[in-house]
Amino acid sequence: MRKSFLDLNRVNSEKLFSRRFILLLIILSILSLLLITRLYYLQVISYEHFDTLSETNRIKYIPTPPRRGVIYDRNNIVLADNAPLYSIEINIKEAKDIKTIIDAVNVEIGLTASEINIFHKKKLKYSHHNSIILKSNLTESEIAKVLSIRYKYDGLDVSASLLREYPYKKISSHVLGRIGYIDKKDLTRLDKKKYQSSKYVGKTGIEKYYENHLHGTPGYKHVEINARGRQLRDIDEKPSIPGKDLYLTIDIELQKYMYSKLLGYTGSSVAINPKNGEILAMISAPALDPNQKLWKLDFDQEEASNLKSPMFNRATHGLYSPGSTIKPIMALNGLHKNIINASQEFYAGPFFQLPNNSRRFRDWKPKGHGTVDLEKSIVQSCDVYFYMLANNLGIDNISSFLKYFSFGDKTGLDMPYEASGVLPSNNWKLKNIGTNWTDGDTVITGIGQGYFSATPMQLAYSTSIIANKGSIVIPRLNKNSKPIKSKEVLKKENFLKNAISPEYWETITDAMYKVVNQKNGTAYWATKNKRNNIAGKTGTVQVYELSQETDERSKENIPDHLKDHSLYIGFAPRENPKIVIATVIENVGGGSKYAAPISNEIISYYLDKIREKN
Amino acid sequence: MGNKILGITDFILFSSIALISIFGLILLYSATNQDIDVVIKQGTKLIFCFTLMLLIGSININKIKSLTPYIYLLCIVLLLVTLFWGHDSKGAKRWIIFYGFSLQISEILKIIVPMMIAWYISNYEDKEIEFKKLIISFIIIFIPIAFIVKQPDLGTSLIILLCGLITLFLSGIKNNHIKYLVGLFLIVTPLIWRFFLLPYQKQRIMTLIEPASDPLGSGYHIIQSKIAVGSGGFFGKGFLNGTQSQLEFLPERGTDFIFAVFAEEFGFFGILILFLFYLAIIIRCINIATKAKTYYAKILAGSITSIFILLILTNISMTIGLLPVVGVTLPLLSLGGSALLSVFIAFGIMFSINRRI
Repeated sequence: MRKSFLDLNRVNSEKLFSRRFILLLIILSILSLLLITRLYYLQVISYEHFDTLSETNRIKYIPTPPRRGVIYDRNNIVLADNAPLYSIEINIKEAKDIKTIIDAVNVEIGLTASEINIFHKKKLKYSHHNSIILKSNLTESEIAKVLSIRYKYDGLDVSASLLREYPYKKISSHVLGRIGYIDKKDLTRLDKKKYQSSKYVGKTGIEKYYENHLHGTPGYKHVEINARGRQLRDIDEKPSIPGKDLYLTIDIELQKYMYSKLLGYTGSSVAINPKNGEILAMISAPALDPNQKLWKLDFDQEEASNLKSPMFNRATHGLYSPGSTIKPIMALNGLHKNIINASQEFYAGPFFQLPNNSRRFRDWKPKGHGTVDLEKSIVQSCDVYFYMLANNLGIDNISSFLKYFSFGDKTGLDMPYEASGVLPSNNWKLKNIGTNWTDGDTVITGIGQGYFSATPMQLAYSTSIIANKGSIVIPRLNKNSKPIKSKEVLKKENFLKNAISPEYWETITDAMYKVVNQKNGTAYWATKNKRNNIAGKTGTVQVYELSQETDERSKENIPDHLKDHSLYIGFAPRENPKIVIATVIENVGGGSKYAAPISNEIISYYLDKIREKN
Repeated sequence: MGNKILGITDFILFSSIALISIFGLILLYSATNQDIDVVIKQGTKLIFCFTLMLLIGSININKIKSLTPYIYLLCIVLLLVTLFWGHDSKGAKRWIIFYGFSLQISEILKIIVPMMIAWYISNYEDKEIEFKKLIISFIIIFIPIAFIVKQPDLGTSLIILLCGLITLFLSGIKNNHIKYLVGLFLIVTPLIWRFFLLPYQKQRIMTLIEPASDPLGSGYHIIQSKIAVGSGGFFGKGFLNGTQSQLEFLPERGTDFIFAVFAEEFGFFGILILFLFYLAIIIRCINIATKAKTYYAKILAGSITSIFILLILTNISMTIGLLPVVGVTLPLLSLGGSALLSVFIAFGIMFSINRRI
């Protein structure tokens, strides 16, 4: 048998031990040398790599969010400010057992079932957020209670942030809009660097339109932290730059008054200073209190219990047929095209009929107005006169003339998503309805019905052009903005001021004055205060077309949602207009009954206040 | 010899142990974020361990040899006690507590198992270690391991197995048997992986292969520890200046990862100095082993020396991510009681062996 040097030889066991011991020591020495080499590699060769890792490990970059700009009204009254808000947040990425945390919080401060319910909904909907708010607006004792149990639960925290506060609540809500949590859609369009530390972004209204102006620039802090993330000391800091403040053209007192007048109705009212386009007040009713509603979900809850889409800004989005409020412009069109002259009289029966057509276009007055001229047709709002006029003008003339008043086009107001409305034309109908324009369509366009639609903002805008006798001002909410009139607008203005005879402007504003100030005017009885020389025009818009056979309009039997919309446009004082108004009240009835008195009271309130001041 | 008072039979060995231990206390001060209470507590334990070491050192090695089987049996009983009445911590029953002291018997077995093997084999000096003796030796090794695996503590079990195998190797088992054992190992290992390892144990091994795969989970410790070692550089960040340890990025700074604290604060240069001290201890131990008179003493001294080196290598490899985190402390530097006790018992035995020269 072959004997290797390690083979067992008990006589020489000591020698064997020595051999094996040496062998073992050699193996261990080799391993030690390898280990030292490895340490040399880590500590000397890769030193810089690990040094950087160690530095970045302990230094945390903390962005500091900027303070959002404050919004003021025209008299420097605060409309939107920032207030500290304490909320319980659960970090859904860190929390081990969310249910346990909620139970623990519930034991400490008590949560309502809906708070827990909403939390779970938010958790699903905003899963890209790390932290979801469980309860906001904590009291000091609630903060203390939650902080006392915080150490037991990973992911539970009390966060402090600056929250938007809107002291005028519903009154200013449609103008200001609201801020809300940055959602997935926002993330795709927002500048990541600018919003790295921001939680909120303007969602609607002024808050959205002037987001860049209001937001500010975030700063940062380099903080030394330990492994548990506790901040030990600041290393350096670049303070955030607060967002710029914003001064609006809104007169909050007038806004408040307007709100009180529209309270209980569904509708909208817009008041503009026709000299410079400053929007003095703008209400859309109903409205919701935007305070502390940071998720759209918060609104959905309330909206469900509310009837008529309170989130919807009717002033800039609500599309209504202008109805009889369009008659002054129709008349101006007729005068300009020499189809009528002011003194020419017509016989206006109870209805108008197209040749070879049995359809009767009825007047609102069942027996008709009898002999009417242009002025009387406006003052008493004779429909048959305007059916005839429209028929004689033809749709092409009508739509090209309406274009000068920017119907079917955005006014250029500084609000997000303004609706354009519909400027009726042959092309429009072909494109959108798919059939040819008919003469019947033209006839009802003459009294602002049919396909024709506009927002209250557009009505106020076109009324400001009438008040200015052709001068155009772009409506705006930012007091310090100088809207630049586009070439197109300048062209329109040039036409309105120069191509239309001043005499014609005089004729229609005179008629509008008489609507309010002459005994047979449709807004005469609705206007108690006649001191302010208001000129206006009522409108009643049919929501539901009654059948041709019904001669008597038994309006009392119509359900609420099919009742007429009540419209009114107006400006005052007639000679030197300081305020223009357009009001729409949905589903209540005639323009002279609702929109006219409300609007004229608003006008009087404003002008009386100015007079008082001077 | 003149310096045999109190069992200090090798002055260089004694002073090297003392120096590293005292330095360990200073390092602990840094590793615990300057918690002087922990340092004082550890210092007290050290004084106790030193006393015990010198006490053992003053006992005749033959006396120790004759006591070995009883100590071994006592340890087995204590392991049983641990298993039934042990203190539960983080899901493992590894400690027994009496009079406020917690004792991890499995740590002590790192020295007791080699002692028992040495005792058993040396009883048959000048005779072949045939198959039957090999089996009995394995039974000696596997009885405690069975209990320790049950705790569960796979890391310590493996270390004890390794300690037993080293002793067996030094005591002169047949070459053929070694070949069979290696073959058996190659067959059994995959089976153990497949059927015996718990998921967390597999996880530890997997993260070792690719720590970046789970940087905030099990890989976190390895990554943070490597950063600590690497960022120490050549001269280190200086005492109390290690950001990784002072800011608590390092896990288990006082125990398993004490070497990372050391490496971060004292750098590669410091490590070389530390190794010189360890080398002094090892050289003295080799000296004692080669000069030992009895077969029992020789095997035991050789085993202790080899195991001492092995533990150092294992701990450091663990720290820099070359081995899974098996819970091996760095001898003489790590915080802890039982591991310390085990090391000092071993050195006590070394002093005792040296007495007989």
